[in-house]
Amino acid sequence: MAMSEIANPGRERILQRITKSLAEIKVAPPHNIMPTGTSAFAIIPDLLERFVAECKGNLTECVLAHGDTAQKLCVLLTQIPPGEIFAEDTPEIRALLTGIDRDVRWSSDGPPRECSQATITGVHLLIAQTGSLLVSSSLGGRGASVVAPVHIAIAHERQLVTDVEAALVWAEEQKLATTNSFVGVITGCSRTGDIEKLLVIGAHGPKRLVVIVDRDCCSVL
Amino acid sequence: MNPAQEFLRRAAEKSGDLNHRNIIRKNMDHYESRVVVGKGRFANWNAARDQCAAIRDEAINNLDKYLLEFEARVKERGGKVFWAETGDDARAYITNLARQHGVKRVVKSKSMVTEEIHLTTALEQTGCEVLETDLGEYIVQMRKEPPYHIVTPAMHLTRKEVFETFREKLPGVTSDEPVELVSVARRVMREAFFSAEMGITGANFLVADTGMIAITTNEGNARLGTALPKIHVVVTGIEKVIPRLTDLGILWPTLAGAATGQSLSAYNTLIGGPRANGEVDGPEEFHVVLLDNGRSELLNDAEQREVLRCIRCGACLNNCPVYRHVGGHTYGTTYQGPIGSVLTPHLRGHDFDHLSQASSLCGACTEGCPVKIDLHHHLLRNRRNAVEETSRPWMERIGFRAWRWTMLGNGRFEFLGRLGRMVARALAGTPVDPLRKWTAFRASPKLPQKSFRQMWRDGDV
Repeated sequence: MAMSEIANPGRERILQRITKSLAEIKVAPPHNIMPTGTSAFAIIPDLLERFVAECKGNLTECVLAHGDTAQKLCVLLTQIPPGEIFAEDTPEIRALLTGIDRDVRWSSDGPPRECSQATITGVHLLIAQTGSLLVSSSLGGRGASVVAPVHIAIAHERQLVTDVEAALVWAEEQKLATTNSFVGVITGCSRTGDIEKLLVIGAHGPKRLVVIVDRDCCSVL
Repeated sequence: MNPAQEFLRRAAEKSGDLNHRNIIRKNMDHYESRVVVGKGRFANWNAARDQCAAIRDEAINNLDKYLLEFEARVKERGGKVFWAETGDDARAYITNLARQHGVKRVVKSKSMVTEEIHLTTALEQTGCEVLETDLGEYIVQMRKEPPYHIVTPAMHLTRKEVFETFREKLPGVTSDEPVELVSVARRVMREAFFSAEMGITGANFLVADTGMIAITTNEGNARLGTALPKIHVVVTGIEKVIPRLTDLGILWPTLAGAATGQSLSAYNTLIGGPRANGEVDGPEEFHVVLLDNGRSELLNDAEQREVLRCIRCGACLNNCPVYRHVGGHTYGTTYQGPIGSVLTPHLRGHDFDHLSQASSLCGACTEGCPVKIDLHHHLLRNRRNAVEETSRPWMERIGFRAWRWTMLGNGRFEFLGRLGRMVARALAGTPVDPLRKWTAFRASPKLPQKSFRQMWRDGDV
């Protein structure tokens, strides 16, 4: 029998139990919950300043560019060991990598391979409050931000938003969650504290997360 | 030995194990220092707790509506949803799926629900190799131990012990430096991620309005496990649903703040269905197994329904003075600490009623809970339920009747109080001392010569 045809009698029984319980027992709102509309977070006066500070805290390398993103990227790539790099296939990233002497596997050729030394992608948004990046499968696929030891994200200052909620509201407006099978908020590189709570970076995913934020108002990014 | 006796035996052993206490103290000191910083990131931590509790309450009090919405959205995205009444149903579905697809290797992200249903054993019995990919889980899997803590499964081990385990099982390990140990594990896992046919994850939340599951990790193992294998299976409790995508705007930071003191965990990931048309990668099949296993019964309990709000952050374990002394394995349950003591009698019956006694009722668990579950009062309610729903030993029944009779009579109370003090003095330190379990390791408190009543009459107070 194909999986799609598997009978699931438990479904009706579970739903019946839930519906019966909810109809029979109305629970009064708990006395100790009083959402007052008070914001849990303070106002952030300068989004970029906060983003840079948070990146420092969560071990994201934040590089500020002023129309010289290509040069900054070139310098970064000289630090990456020889071998293939993977890049999201967009006209902007193709332009940035023009003239760079490296084997590039583009996302249009398939997902990043295990041997990828670095991945280069765009981001949808930068989240100031937590120093995070909003990404999705449309930016080179699910593996693009996690498979290689180094992930380089290319962004522009105008992509900054205040907090996670603002990012998710934007995602909803843009139908990001309905058009992509993966949406992620990345806050720093891969890490673990599972051995005596000692922080070790690069548990499974990138050991380095670098975000280049271009501040040039004329940039095409 | 029944579970209660086993609990007492392990508790006595662990409380006297100074190495164990040192490693737990070190972990908890680190946790406390980080969580203070984490909460400090909020202008109003209590407002965050209120908002999270209200979101979870809304979901639980409309569970059927949001689960059906979630199911419909997942199906629209090309995923499949299976509703499992019991652990047996869930195991049968997943092992059948693995068999049909000829799965030989499974990579698994940390999931307490899969521990609850013993999924790994079931898959291994069908001939699959199952690899835990969370480092802590991987360590305890190698040692054939259950997770010690719902967030940090290997918290009880020193780096030396981890090193010994690695050296025994894996080639090329030469140092107990965590960086080297992690790098060896990374090598092993990489190979597994790229060769496994099935990835299994839990879910921190099920987002009803988008039909996505939300998974939070720091290591990124769930990212790889949901990107590379051909089949992704999510195993999760029915209570994990939340109404809206935007609810995560407060739930994610609050979960991170309570669990580790981070502003956000490194990877907050939303997955909705298999690879969509035009996407570069992702699995070909996406299955969500929604597990009931007693949860819908808890929904039917007016007093304790709120327990279903739990977001499994581990804060109540870390705050609990009993957990800190006896450790996670002593409980003998999937979910340890205060939340486990509240939940387990509902999931596994009266054999676990004794866990409600493993509390000083200090309220530190309730204070630390980011979704404001009134945990210590639920422990009291479990105690009451245990008395009402089970037959008690005749000694206990007679004892409480005698105590009630004594307390209701002024003269009786005074006379028996005096008698009690005389007996206590006479027996103190002897083998028949009724307080010997306490006094064996502690100095006896000195009994006063006069009772308070006597002091009052004599004008001493």
